[in-house]
Amino acid sequence: MQPGPEDEVVVETAVFRIEGLTRRYGDLLALDNATLEAGANEYISFLGPSGSGKTTLLRVIAGFETPDAGRVIFQGRDVTNVPAHERGIGFVFQNFALFPHLTVMKNVAFGLTHGKSGLSAADIDRRCREMIDMVGLSGMEDRGVDQISGGQRQRVALARTLTLRPRLVLLDEPLGALDANLRGRMRNELRAIRERLGVTFLHVTGSESEALAMGDRVVVLDRGRLIQTGTPAEVYDHPASPDVAHFLNRFNMFDGKLSGGSFTGAFGTAPAPVATRSPRDVYAVRYDRMRVLPLSARTDRPTLKARYIASEYLGSSIMSFFDAEGHVVEVEHHLSLGAPETYETRQEYLLSWNPEKAIVFGREVQ
Amino acid sequence: MESRILKPVLALYVALFLLFLYGPFVVLTILSFQQGPEGGPQFPIIEWSTYWYRQLFGLTPPSRIAPLPFGDALIRSLVLALMTMVVSTVLGVMSAQAFRRRFRGASLVFYLIVLGMMVPGVLTGLGTSLLANNIIGIERHWYTTAFATHVAYTYPFAFLVMLAILNRFDDSVEEASWSLGVDPWTTFRKVTFPLIFPGVLSAMLFAFTLSLDEFPRTLFASGRDQTLPLAIYGTFAVEIHPNIFAFGVLTTLFSFALLSVYGILMALSVRRARRLAMQEDIA
Repeated sequence: MQPGPEDEVVVETAVFRIEGLTRRYGDLLALDNATLEAGANEYISFLGPSGSGKTTLLRVIAGFETPDAGRVIFQGRDVTNVPAHERGIGFVFQNFALFPHLTVMKNVAFGLTHGKSGLSAADIDRRCREMIDMVGLSGMEDRGVDQISGGQRQRVALARTLTLRPRLVLLDEPLGALDANLRGRMRNELRAIRERLGVTFLHVTGSESEALAMGDRVVVLDRGRLIQTGTPAEVYDHPASPDVAHFLNRFNMFDGKLSGGSFTGAFGTAPAPVATRSPRDVYAVRYDRMRVLPLSARTDRPTLKARYIASEYLGSSIMSFFDAEGHVVEVEHHLSLGAPETYETRQEYLLSWNPEKAIVFGREVQ
Repeated sequence: MESRILKPVLALYVALFLLFLYGPFVVLTILSFQQGPEGGPQFPIIEWSTYWYRQLFGLTPPSRIAPLPFGDALIRSLVLALMTMVVSTVLGVMSAQAFRRRFRGASLVFYLIVLGMMVPGVLTGLGTSLLANNIIGIERHWYTTAFATHVAYTYPFAFLVMLAILNRFDDSVEEASWSLGVDPWTTFRKVTFPLIFPGVLSAMLFAFTLSLDEFPRTLFASGRDQTLPLAIYGTFAVEIHPNIFAFGVLTTLFSFALLSVYGILMALSVRRARRLAMQEDIA
């Protein structure tokens, strides 16, 4: 549903904008004053733990739920009070929500057939076959949706939405129900499909690697607030708060105290010339920036004495776990950098890192 | 150890249950093949015959025993049951649909609806009759006052069946339809209704059968023209002949036929439901 010429069209480059969206469930604030703008042909991924409001955000944008405050503007039109079926915003569900009583073809054609497309049956048929072909399901048109695999259902869900040629598609953990192998493949396909159609995708995920891999921009949510927005590299290298660093699941985090440009924690005192303002004093070191040294080693870098627990082989890297007085510290060793050293269980080692690469948060920063 | 005692006890219980459930029907069936017109509704069987079945359809020479005056009553009861089925099922689906969202006074409305099947039938019947006669001042008929009591009685059953079905319904299928630009009414027709159809079928069956053999409410509320249960009761009051048993066997067979149709339709839509269940497993 494109806005017709009679609609009041405000010229703007953004396809989509939300302003101060707020949604309460009783005492729970699921969305707290969320504001965001998305351009045409952009891929934005939303990252947050469960309960952070990311699904609520998508549901409000789609029109399944009404916000308590704020506006949703889509293609220059305020759609805050427009019912879902008149918004023209696509939605892909985590459980796919295919119509179980219809075939693949009828699922894909559903919106064109029963909506206000005004297309002839022949046109609908042609358009759906093109789309089915594009998502690689040719030959499956007449199968029931129970006769195809999980990955194929995912494609049907996508094709069903994309035949309507929406300018904005919301994806609610669309890869969550797939196995790891398929997830990897679908990631690439999603990106390829989007680039071909020039659609804006808002992709909600609980997986930090998915968010970083897929988004042109990553938005991190926590307790209903958008706490950081940026390119994957910006978010990854400069998390805006200890919470963001925590969700990225790539950092060893130490509590302590930041004072006068140095941070004091479990590892002693380390210089911290650069720090980010935060209500909590936290010192974060990425897993792959940690080095393991023998207990006897001498270094002028900060060190932490820790006992080796176990390792996990991850294919391209090895993750080792150390216990520093009850605090688990993870060390990632990329195998491309050479064969891993072997450590002895329950033996003590020194963990060390370059303090310039640490990310420091503190109250005293202005 | 436990099952060594429990199993035989439960088996005996089930056997007794089946005996009491089907015993009367078996006796009824045997006696319906009594010789006629002299043979009475008791053992022993003088001679096996289909006399009473033929007598029902007026295929026997006239005798002392009048044919049962059931023709009109049967048609009235079937029409009434059909009307009740349609109205109760539509109401049941609509109100259960309304209960998918919480609304103010939901639990009060719930109890008010369910009350219809809890209140003693005699009271409802008598009340309706008094209301029609003394307060509103309309005549009682099976298709007006009795129809109203039948709907009040069967609607809660249809409502509860649909409530259970919609409770397990996955809302995201409807939301998916809306997000595809399909309006809520078309979504209901093309998505919701096909998926809840097994439940609708059960609600229809409940409403139809409960209405078909409803007695206490109809007794007071139906006025001059009788429905089938009333007509059967009326003949009991005079003298019982095996023709009633023959009639009972035929109506029971009719009910079984109805159940078979229900079973077939159900099996067809269960296949569909299984698809939905598979889809939910993924989620």
